[in-house]
Amino acid sequence: MSESSIAKRAPIGWRLRSRSTPYVFLFPYVAINLVFFLLPLIYATVLAFYQTNGPARRAYVGWSNFTFVLKDADFHKALWNTTIFAIFSIGLQLPLSLGLAMLLNAKNDRFKGIFRLAIFAPNLVGQVFVGVIFSVLFTPRYGLFNRGLQALTGWGLEQQWLGDSKLVMPAIIIAAMWMYVGFNMIYFLAALQNVDQNLIEAAKIDGAGPGNIFLNVIVPAIAPVATFVVVTSTIGSYQLFELPYNMLKNNGGGYGPSNSGLTIVGYLYQNAFTNGDLGTGAAVGWLLTFIILIISLVQIRIVGSVGSEI
Amino acid sequence: MKFPYGPAPLAILIIAVLTGIALAVWGPLSHAPDYRPPDLVLATFVPEQAEVYHNAIPEFEKQNNCKIEIELVDQNALQSRLQSALQVGADVPDMVELMYGTMGVFTKGPLEDVGLVDLTDKIKASGLYDRLVTNRLSKWSSRGHVFALPHDVHPVLLCYRRDLMEQLGIDINKLTTWEEFSRVGREVVKKTMRPDGVPEHYMIDMQSDGNDTLILLLLQHGVGLFDAAGNVTFDSPAALDVVCWYVKQVEGPTRISFPCGEGQNFAKAMIDGLCLFYFCPDWRANRIELEIPSLSGKLALMPMPAWEPGGLRTSTWGGAGLAFTKQCRNFDLAWKLAMYLYYDRAQLGPRYAVTHILPPLKSAWDLPQLSESSPFYSNQSLGKVYSAMAPFVPEEHDFAYNTIANGKLSEAFTNASYYYKVHGEDGLREYARAELKRCADHVRLVMARNVFLKPQPAQVSEASGK
Repeated sequence: MSESSIAKRAPIGWRLRSRSTPYVFLFPYVAINLVFFLLPLIYATVLAFYQTNGPARRAYVGWSNFTFVLKDADFHKALWNTTIFAIFSIGLQLPLSLGLAMLLNAKNDRFKGIFRLAIFAPNLVGQVFVGVIFSVLFTPRYGLFNRGLQALTGWGLEQQWLGDSKLVMPAIIIAAMWMYVGFNMIYFLAALQNVDQNLIEAAKIDGAGPGNIFLNVIVPAIAPVATFVVVTSTIGSYQLFELPYNMLKNNGGGYGPSNSGLTIVGYLYQNAFTNGDLGTGAAVGWLLTFIILIISLVQIRIVGSVGSEI
Repeated sequence: MKFPYGPAPLAILIIAVLTGIALAVWGPLSHAPDYRPPDLVLATFVPEQAEVYHNAIPEFEKQNNCKIEIELVDQNALQSRLQSALQVGADVPDMVELMYGTMGVFTKGPLEDVGLVDLTDKIKASGLYDRLVTNRLSKWSSRGHVFALPHDVHPVLLCYRRDLMEQLGIDINKLTTWEEFSRVGREVVKKTMRPDGVPEHYMIDMQSDGNDTLILLLLQHGVGLFDAAGNVTFDSPAALDVVCWYVKQVEGPTRISFPCGEGQNFAKAMIDGLCLFYFCPDWRANRIELEIPSLSGKLALMPMPAWEPGGLRTSTWGGAGLAFTKQCRNFDLAWKLAMYLYYDRAQLGPRYAVTHILPPLKSAWDLPQLSESSPFYSNQSLGKVYSAMAPFVPEEHDFAYNTIANGKLSEAFTNASYYYKVHGEDGLREYARAELKRCADHVRLVMARNVFLKPQPAQVSEASGK
């Protein structure tokens, strides 16, 4: 019996209810997105062309917010800091994550579960706590990091990691690495566990060494996951805020000496909420969206083409 | 009847309806039968103050047949929520204690948009101008209008390790100028240098990126981030002198300071005697006593060295002010409460005994509680030493761009500091001058963009009654 014949025979109320069912289920999602995503998005677009004094008072300023931000040395600094962070996040974190995933993927490891949990656990803590913890670890004279350096090398007891503009970004990168390596490792581990073992066996029979197997079998197999991890890590890096803000709370009011820990979102926060100019904040938000969009598209293209070539 | 969308949505719908009913019913039921809504709500961010007010309120309620509610709110939450609520006209407390440095946030726009009651006339009419340390009013003013009552004076003294001073043979009576202080500091660092190149003692705790300790030194030298008219002043010659001096104390071969930080690190540094001197406003003196009891009898207080012989030997750091929101339901009662909590001698004695915070009401400085000697501070009377400095605390002006100016000053300072580390003293002054100018110009540029706030210098002198 065909579906259409059932529909023809069913009462009209039932047919109406059947047709409306998907929309009823969709309604909460659509309503929430409309109220909390689409409307704010439209409002933020409008707001970017106004100067505001809090939410109540505003004045139309045209493109002035955008031109101010694009010319502002602090924005340039924030963009530079964020880009450096993103480059190191991808350049250091991802190979380390992949390496750890490969180690954990090794067979006959009784402690695999414990290691996996231990490496992933920092991600459960949250950026605010990691920021606070690392601000203590990097304390000159008393911090664990400095004590360790002194014990190992005889140097570093007085080193001001968070008080020296040249060392702020390395300190943030170290903290972020501790936090996110385990998170990305989980993705790589899942991808590695899905690599077809027959292909690896076949490559071995053909005389391929571990390097060849890694490059020609494993990398192509995990390329889609690697693309995803690279893109999400980049987006996450460009949205960095809580970690440096909490690490540097006592150094440069959350942005480090000479704004050495100022990120784009930190700059947005500074303008929108510290200075109370939501219009400039909205303009920064749109610029950030544009930057992330361009970088993500380029990355997807590059990583995608590399994956397909391999 | 069968629910058309299946059992799961039905269960969700039932839970939603039941929860809604429960909330609607629970609201009125949660209050006791004799519940009376408060006549006034006062929000504060300082736990110690909230405790003191809680103890004082019953008497006030009895005298005025009213109900007062004290709310303790985190400072950041208080500021951001109040700022948004005031601007959109949402519910706010009747009275709010604000933290120093935040007044500018609430007074950024046109005066008519400020959500706080203008207290200028009321203060004048009540005679408070003569009874308070008037310099403190500037902190709570904008364009000649006072928007909050000062809670404190917060004069700054130096707290020092008396026991170590005796061991090292330092005569504190000779430390009357920063120049001399610096010279002695270099000797201390040299004398206590360990074989690993790290000194056992530094002379003073100073933030390595400037910030609060740099600003309090600027204020002592007669210059702040802004002047009374709202002009950026941290690139003035006086500021340059302070920055160049400060740089040499935190960097290079002339370094005499260590950034001890806050909390546990600060406590550990004090216990270890890592630094001999610490900037110490009254609020910090109380905190040290509470948090590091093991140092009892080993500490003492002295006036800050001056910038020139016979110069000012104090500054100011921190503060709170009580503002009345325009939505205040009963301003007269609120004013009465403010006078009771802030400027009533009968209240101030017990309050001082708990907080050790000197009130700005000059007539309260002879209260017996302020004369009591403190065994913790080598039997000095904190009330006496702080009140001796209180009349001289410098004026400080708060503007909407305080945070950004603070950040830019710190940036100029950090760059100058790095220059000194690399190049030494050669060209330092010229470099620091250029950096201060560049950073101050940035703040001026940001301020000039504000279409809502244009400084009106003609009105400014009214703020401090001059």
